[in-house]
Parts: sequence; structure tokens; C-alpha cells
Amino acid sequence: MKNRILHILTLAAALLLSARPSMAQEAVEIPGGSFHSILPEVEGKPLEVESFYMDVTAVTNSEFTEFLMENPRWRRSQIPAAFAGEGYLRHWQDDLTPGEESPADAPVTRVSWFAANAYCGWKGGRLPTLDEWEYSAQLMEFDTPAQSNAFASELMGWYSTVNTDNIRSVGSTGIVNKYGVRDQFGLIMEWVEDFEPPMGSDFQLNCGSMGRMQQAGNLYSYAASVRYMTRMSFTPQTTTGMIGFRCAYDAPLTRNLYSEPALREVLP
Amino acid sequence: MKKFTILLPILLTFLIADVLGQQPDRMPARAEASINEYSVYQSDAQWTNQRNEIVQLRYFIGKPAVVTMFYGNCLQVCPILIRDANRIYEAVDESLRDQVQVLAITFDPENDTPEALRDYANRYELNHPQWHFLTGSPAPIRELAMLLGVQYRKDSYGHYSHSNQVFVLDDEGVIVHTLEGLNQPVEEAAAWIEEHLKRSNTHNTVDIIGKLN
Repeated sequence: MKNRILHILTLAAALLLSARPSMAQEAVEIPGGSFHSILPEVEGKPLEVESFYMDVTAVTNSEFTEFLMENPRWRRSQIPAAFAGEGYLRHWQDDLTPGEESPADAPVTRVSWFAANAYCGWKGGRLPTLDEWEYSAQLMEFDTPAQSNAFASELMGWYSTVNTDNIRSVGSTGIVNKYGVRDQFGLIMEWVEDFEPPMGSDFQLNCGSMGRMQQAGNLYSYAASVRYMTRMSFTPQTTTGMIGFRCAYDAPLTRNLYSEPALREVLP
Repeated sequence: MKKFTILLPILLTFLIADVLGQQPDRMPARAEASINEYSVYQSDAQWTNQRNEIVQLRYFIGKPAVVTMFYGNCLQVCPILIRDANRIYEAVDESLRDQVQVLAITFDPENDTPEALRDYANRYELNHPQWHFLTGSPAPIRELAMLLGVQYRKDSYGHYSHSNQVFVLDDEGVIVHTLEGLNQPVEEAAAWIEEHLKRSNTHNTVDIIGKLN
């Protein structure tokens, strides 16, 4: 009997401990507001976005490994073709080992939209919507217009030469929005919940529509149009080396993600 | 007797749970062994239909299905999508029609509760046993749309812009035919279903489906 209680206690402790890593990832609140989307609902009018929470960084190889440990059907050897192309985690050493090419703290890439969607659900969240992601991405602060222009041209440089061979750690770009969300540029492309919004039948992916998009005229419009076009070229099974993701959560949080970092600071 | 009145609701609960739970519980075992890699029915999410029955998509393995996505507050386009699905259904020979399943999945789980879906089905006189108006959680709805290739986006007025497609799925849940746009001809889709059913019926020495019905 004693043994049995001990056994249950050990199990409970193990469960608590195993729950911990999945809580470690930080999310921050992005207060609601509006922004000028390059795909406005009404021409010239800003889009409203409600408050939500978003992961500070993209999901890493080590975090994705945890997900695969608990969810075998998303492993490379088991995922059905409906959910991912053949490139799915192709660069990993095996089902559960990211390997040398994929450092633990680098963002996971070569993951399909379906896998990203399942991961965020497992985390108690969801993928950010296209509008949420874009809204967060333009919440940057610059002291002068010159600085913002310099940043915009740097961004274009990055979009034209995305290097998937050597993806650095999450948090390494130094690019951060005013609420603390990191690396929305400069590291990888990211899945969003509705990455291919419905377009009118007259909408064509060509230079004309690119030109119309750019007329939005704000700092990010050109870089943003490149992003929209790139996304629209994906299918949900796409698994290229440049695509990863981060998760979002509805506000108010059902789980105590937000207070976790503070708690850790208080404890020795 | 008193004991019985206490027991009855409990027994009923078990009985209902059993009936509801039976199909989702039973199907995965079969599905995991044989489900097609490209099947739209891969997802293990739970859905609720207009009869308040909880189903998994794997439940629909074994018979062809006509599938579309819609939402109840959509008054112009969606009734046409539903009608198009029904046009395929009705174009199938009457002797085979009860072997065709029709799935209409909502974009709008907030408003399209099982009760609202039941009213919708009744309004269009489509509350047939093999018709399933389905609602679920937002993530599985998006996942299913991605599997089908349906695009949708909610606007600030609570309406959805969406692409218009009606699909025919084979008995494994693989898309075999797509009607792109509204009011398309349905003969080809219906002919595929009829041929497929005739073929599989002759292959089955014991007509299980017929027996169940």
C-alpha cells in the first residue's frame, strides 16, 4: 500500500515536472488597436484587431521535439500525406532528434501548416491570424523617420536573401516590437491561421496587384506585400526550410502563461 | 420503484453516451489500420451535428460523401451551396441515394449551434438521416477547410467571405470531384457516385449497408 502511494506520488511529481517545460515559453499581451493592412476590408480604412497574446519567440526545435514525444502521429515517419509534404522535418536526424543541423534553440522549420496548427492547439493556444501577426509586426518604435527607413530597406534585403542553411537561435535578431515580441523579421517566415485569405476572382498574383498593395504607402508596405505574396504561394502541406511558426492565445488567458516569468523571478 | 427513478436517468445517460460514443470509439481502431494517407477524414477532432450527435470524421468512412462549407447567417450565397449539394444528392438514382452522405460544415460555430443547424436543416427540408450539418471548434474547422482547399475570412461585421466549392469524397474521404463556384452542372459528380456505389455494392456479397438501413 505504502509502495502504491509512493508510486502515485512519483507519478504526480513526474507529471508536474513534465508539464513545466510547456509552460516555460513566454507569451506577451498585445493590446488591441488598428492598423493599415495592405488587404483592407474597406479601401483606405484601418483594420481593427482585438487584444491577444502571442509567443515572444518562434517555436524551437527542442519545443517541437516535446510535442512529438507526446503526439506520435505528427512524427516524420507517421504523418499522413494529407498533413505534410515530403520535406517535413527532412533535415532532422530521426523522428525525435533534431540533430546537428538543427540546434535546440533555433526555430523549427520544415513544418507544415497542419503540424503548426496542431502544436498550438496542444499548447492551449492557436496560430495567430494573419491580421494579428501583421498588426504585431508593425508595432515597432523608431526615433526618427531616417531610422525607420533604414530598417525598411534592411528588411527588403533580408526578404530577398532569406538564408535557410544557417538559421540562428530565436531571439538573436535583436528585432523586437514594443510589447516584446521578437524576430518577426530576420529569422524565418511564419505560418498564420489564415495564410491564404479568399480573394476576389479578379485578384491575380502579378505586378499589378503588387503595385496596388504598395500604394498603402506605410513603412512596411513593400516588405509586407512580399510577405503576403510569399504566403499565398504556400499550400498548407508546404514544408520549406524557411517556414516555422509561433502561437497566439485568446485574451484573457485561460492558462496562467503571463504570470509565469514573474513567478520564476521570485523563486530562488 | 424509488430506486428505479433515481437509476433511470443514470442508465439513460449511459445509454445515450454509449450510442453517441459508439461510433467515434469504434471507428478509430479501424481507421488507424486502413485510413487513406490523403483522406480528409484524418483529423480526430469531434464535431456535433444538427441532431446533437457527436461524430468524428472517420465515422463517414465507408460511403461516398458530398461535402460543402457554409454558415447560417449567410443568406445569399450559402443557400445556393447547400442547394448545389442537394442537387448532386438528388441527381443520384433514388435506389442508391440513401447510401450517399452529405456533410455541410459551418464556418461560424459561434452562431451555428446544433439547435441553429437543426432549424436550418428543417427550414430547407434537409434534415435527412444521412445529412450532417456539422459544427466544431475553430481550429478543426480551419483544419478541415485547409484539407479541402476552402478559403474563408471573418469580417468585422461577423460575416465570412469564403470560396464556393462543393466536393465529392470517395468512401475513404479522398476528394474525387470538385464543383468550383455556384450553380455548376452536377451530372458528372452524380454519375461518379452512382457508378462507385454500383461497383462497391456488387463487390459486397453481403450488403451490410442495406442491412443497417
